[in-house]
Parts: sequence; C-alpha cells; structure tokens
Amino acid sequence: MGGPTIDLIVLGVSHKTAPVGVRERLAVVPEAMEGVLGELAALPSVREAALLSTCNRVEIYAAIDRDGDRAAQGLGEVLARRAGVTALELGAHLYERRDAEAVAHLFRVACSLDSLVLGEPQILGQTKQAHESAVRHGSAGAILNACFQGAFRVARRVRRETAIARNPVSVSSVAIELVRQVFGGFDRRQVLVVGAGKMSELAARTLRTHGATLTVTNRTRARADEMSVRYGAAVSDWSELPAALGVADIVIASTGAQRPVLTVEMLRQVQRARRGRPLFLLDIAVPRDVEPEAGKLDGIYLADIDDLQKVAAEHRDERKNEAADAEAIVAQELDRFLKAWRGRQLAPTVTALRAHVLGLAQAEAARTISAMPGLGERERRAIADLAESLAKKLLHAPQMALRNDDADDGVSLVVAVQRLFALEVAAAAPVEGDADRSEAPVAANVPDKKAAGR
Amino acid sequence: MATLTALVIGVYALAATIYLGYLLGRSMSGGAVAERARAVGVAHAVLAAGVGLHLCDIGARCLHGVNPISSTPEAMSLVAFLIAAGYFLASLRYRLAAAGAFAVPAALASLVLARVVPAEADAPHMSSLGQVHILLAVIGVAVFALAAVLALLYLFEDRQLKRKQFERMMGRGTPLETLDRLALRCVSVGFPVFTVAIVTGAIWVARLGLLRQAAALRPEYLFALATWAAFGVLLIARVGAGWRGRRAAWLTLGGFGGAMLVVLTYFLRHAA
Repeated sequence: MGGPTIDLIVLGVSHKTAPVGVRERLAVVPEAMEGVLGELAALPSVREAALLSTCNRVEIYAAIDRDGDRAAQGLGEVLARRAGVTALELGAHLYERRDAEAVAHLFRVACSLDSLVLGEPQILGQTKQAHESAVRHGSAGAILNACFQGAFRVARRVRRETAIARNPVSVSSVAIELVRQVFGGFDRRQVLVVGAGKMSELAARTLRTHGATLTVTNRTRARADEMSVRYGAAVSDWSELPAALGVADIVIASTGAQRPVLTVEMLRQVQRARRGRPLFLLDIAVPRDVEPEAGKLDGIYLADIDDLQKVAAEHRDERKNEAADAEAIVAQELDRFLKAWRGRQLAPTVTALRAHVLGLAQAEAARTISAMPGLGERERRAIADLAESLAKKLLHAPQMALRNDDADDGVSLVVAVQRLFALEVAAAAPVEGDADRSEAPVAANVPDKKAAGR
Repeated sequence: MATLTALVIGVYALAATIYLGYLLGRSMSGGAVAERARAVGVAHAVLAAGVGLHLCDIGARCLHGVNPISSTPEAMSLVAFLIAAGYFLASLRYRLAAAGAFAVPAALASLVLARVVPAEADAPHMSSLGQVHILLAVIGVAVFALAAVLALLYLFEDRQLKRKQFERMMGRGTPLETLDRLALRCVSVGFPVFTVAIVTGAIWVARLGLLRQAAALRPEYLFALATWAAFGVLLIARVGAGWRGRRAAWLTLGGFGGAMLVVLTYFLRHAA
C-alpha cells in the first residue's frame, strides 16, 4: 500500500497513543465544530476536513493537495494550539497516516477495530456524525464523502457478517443479558438491591434505565434513603430482608459484609413461600454476600462476580477471534474501494494528460514558427505536424500504461501521473454507484470549495 | 399419498435436525452466531414447508375418503400436524427456536408412529359423538404435547443455569418466564378440551353398551383419567397456589406421560 493512491491524511490521537489528560484537551464539543472545521479547511494545502472527536480519540481527516507535509504541519499546529501545548510536545502522542493507509485507518475505526472495547457500537454513529458535521459546515468534498461512505459500508458488512458486536463484554451487561434469559426483560420486574455501596449504586443506575422497579435495603438505613431519592427506589428495612426477598425477582447483592448476608437457610424459607417462582441472585460483592450452596435451591439461580467475569472474558476472546474476520473484510473492501477510486480518476487524468502534452507541443510549434517568419505554408504545417506527432507518440505508452494499471505493485500510476505532470483533476461522482448512496447525508455532493475556486 | 407422507416425514426430519443442531451446537464462538441465526431461519422455513405438505397429505386422504379422525393412525397424524403447526405459529410470535428441538421431533415421532402401525382392519362405524370425542382428544393431546415441549425446555434451561453454563444459553434460549407462562396457557386451553373429550368418550362408550362389559376397565380409560387428574392438579396448584417453575414443569411432563400411555395403549391394542 506504499504508493500514492488517494490524497487523504489522518492526523490524531487515540487511547492507544495519548492519556486522557491529552485527549480531553483536544476534544471538540459540537458547538465548536464549525469554527474548528473552518480553521482546518482554510489551511494551505488542505482541501477538505472532517473531525472525529470521542472520549477515546480526536482525529482530523483531510483531503490534501500535493504538499502533504505542509498540510500535516498545519493540521498538527491547529491541534497543538487547541491543546495549549507546542507542536513538538503533541508530536509524541500524534499519529499520521496518508493515502491508502489513511483510508484503511478510517475503515478500521468505523468498524470498531481500533476501539478500546473491540466491537463497541457507538463509534459508527460518532463517525457518521463527524461526516455529517463536515458536510453541514461545507468542509467535506468528494474525497471525504467517498471515504466516509466507504467506511460506513464496510462497518455494515462487518456487523452483518461477523459476531464482533454480538455478545456483551462488560460485567454489568452480561448480568443484564442473563436476567433477560430468565425473565425476558426488566419491565415491571422487582429488583432488590442489597447494600448501598458504590457497586450497588452503579447497578441501580443501569437497572433504572432498563425500566426495573427498585427497592434498596442497607444495614445503615440513611444510605439506603439517600440512594432511594437518587434513583426513585423504594426502601426496605434491613430487618425485613426475608420479606423483601419474597417479592423480588432479581437480587443484586453488594454489601461490604465479611460474611454472607443471604444464607441458605434464609433463602430456603423464602423460596418455600415463593412456590418455585424463579429468583435470580447476582452476587457482585467480594467477599461474597450469598452462600454458594444457595444456588442449588429449587428456583434460585445464582451468579457471582467470577461467573459474570468469566462470561465477559469469553465474549472478549470471541470478539478477538471475530476481529480477524473483520480485518479480512476491511482489507477486501479497501482494495475494492481503491480500485473504484482509481477507475474514477482514470478518464479525467488521461484527458488532462493529453491536453497538457498536446497543448505544450502546439505552443512550442507556434513559438518556433513565429520565430521563423520566412517559412511557407507547407513548412509551417510540417513543424506543427512534427510537434503534434511527437507528442502523440510520447503519449502513447503512458496512456496504455494508465489504462492497464491495476496498481498491484502498490503504486497507482493515475496519481503518479497527476503528480508528475502537475495535473489538476477534479474528483468525479461518488465511488461505486452502489446502494450506499441512500445513506449519504443530504449534501453529499457538495463541491470542493477550493477546487471550484480554481 | 404414500409418497407425500414420506416427503412430509423427510422434511420434518430435516427441520428436527437443524433445530437440534441449534440447541446442542457449540456455544457462541466465532462466526457460529451468524450461522446459527441463519440456521433458525432455514429451520423455520423447512418446518413451514413440512406443515404445508402435511396439510396437503391430510387433505388428499380426505379426498380419498380417509377421515383424519377415522382411525388411530389418522388421528396420530393429525396430532403430529397440530404439534408442528402449533409450534410454528408460536415461533412466529415468540423466540422459541430452542423449543423446536423438542417440538419437531415430537411431531415427527407421532407421524412415524401413525404410519408404521397398520390401520384398523374394520374400523367400527362411528357415531358423530364418537367423532367429536376423537377430535377433542386429538386436540387435547396435541396441546398437552406442546405444553410438555415447553416444560422440557424449561427443565433443560434450568439445568444449564444451575450448572452456570451461562455462555451456552446466551442469545439462543427462551426466557424461563416465557416458557412457564406459555406452558400454563397450553394447559389452560388443553384441560377443558380434554375434559369434554373424556365426558363425550364416556357417553359414547356407554351408548355402545360397552360399559357393562369387562372392557370398561381397559387401561387406556384409567390412563386418561389419571392424565386428566394430573393436569387438573397442575391447574389448581398453578392458579390456586401459585406453583411455578420446575415443579410445574415436572407435573406437566407427568400429565403428558399419562396422555402418551393412553395413545400407546390404543396403538398396542390395534397393532396386536
């Protein structure tokens, strides 16, 4: 992928290269996006710009002209200024990719292959927002539109064809999935939170969003009262624990007690009154709050922190396996994308090359003829013909090479010729007239403002 | 007709294999997830084809004058059809792919049983009361079979949860509560139907004047009463005393076991 293929650059920091202290200083809130994009797009050598800003990454995607180094320097300086550091200091955290590697990076980011939690679903939406925002503020053009549309397409394929985002990988989401397995959902489910510590609070917050009805019980009543106000939960007195267990469907135990607070004996009594109605105990305390033997009682299902972590770890491993398949899809789609891109560039490049060389020949012939005023019509015609025929002969081999170029050796002749002859080739319609166009934002074909000005 | 029946058996066997593969296949690893989702779609489609062909088979037999409730084998074929069609319709509404691993083999077994047993040589001319009795009994047994399928899956999943095989269940099981609720619904529908079937059966037998004979103590009558009693106790325990979960599932299986004994006794009698 070494050669020039597409004039794209990505410059940024991510959870892999920069600590949160750096990332938070670079983050761009939506309200400030317009100003920053305007600033980036106005830089010399930068033709289009988009900015992806999430908790884990801040990246600039820019279409650049031939002077990539000048563009990179300008973009880096804007970032450094925003972070309030020198470009040198920021340089230690900054990564830069160009051409096909930049496209590959964008594809991998959109597919969540570069995420902190592999396969997490938010990044695709955030990438879409970054593109939409660039389109809205007029800083996206043909190159960025094509690259982002390509990225969304790959992300959809990865989601459809691999299980990378299928199973939950955090302890809390595994717990929620297990509860769904037993009860189908949280709607109108009675959840009893035993203990009012930090973990309980976290669980309460998650469950609340899933529509569960919460009751909190804690040895120190005041803490339970506090939590009940915050999460709209009912409070049950610690002394009434067995009664509260009798009406609950799900119990989240997370006290700081050194000995189990939910004993087999207590649960046996409770379960007798429940007549086999299932009770799901999620023991997330260490040391454990529920006697392990309780899990053998009829209708009681028990999962402790190790069980949940084990499932989460297995799912993380699965995602790693799936990542290999996803990478293969990315490589395949990248190849397809670049081929399509080259195809788009070919015709205008050939036309531009011919116009350029023939124009030169004609101009030179005219100059020679005007320097020799004594020439007759025949001689003048002969000189003009010589120049044109020479130019056409010289053009023949490069034209054939361009048409037959599949860039398998890693160098795209189309871009090489554009650069060698300093050809200005306006980018054409979006890559591949495929169904993805339906997902393109309203203004997907905003003309490249700088190109239009040329 | 025989070709059509063989085709139905083949299609059910194929669907049963896919459902069993779905339930017992490896846990969520790699691309298996996507494959499994596709397998469910294929299984449902194959089953739909089987149900359609089975309906054609029953229809064709009707055209040839073979009434679906005229003999034990025909009635068993109808039971198989009701199990398969009932499961298929339920699976459109609920996430029940795992239950297919029990329901479709049950329908298949019922149909195979129906076709390996020769039809009664001289089926007695049946009164309309007798026909009503058989039709209701067939519906009752089929609905109880569906309840038993759900109970079986309940016990299967309960065991997985108890053994903490959480990762095996994720994404492919049916929520226990749903199974419990649907099984109760089946029993609530099946019980009154079966009750009327027993009453009409008793009147029919009485009219035939068989009650005075020794045949009154035929084992299938006793099994039928035991089945009725088991489901009655189950309903009272569930609705009255709020019984749920494993105990209810076991009792459902017990009741269905009784129904199976009734059916098998009929078979043995006719096969003899």
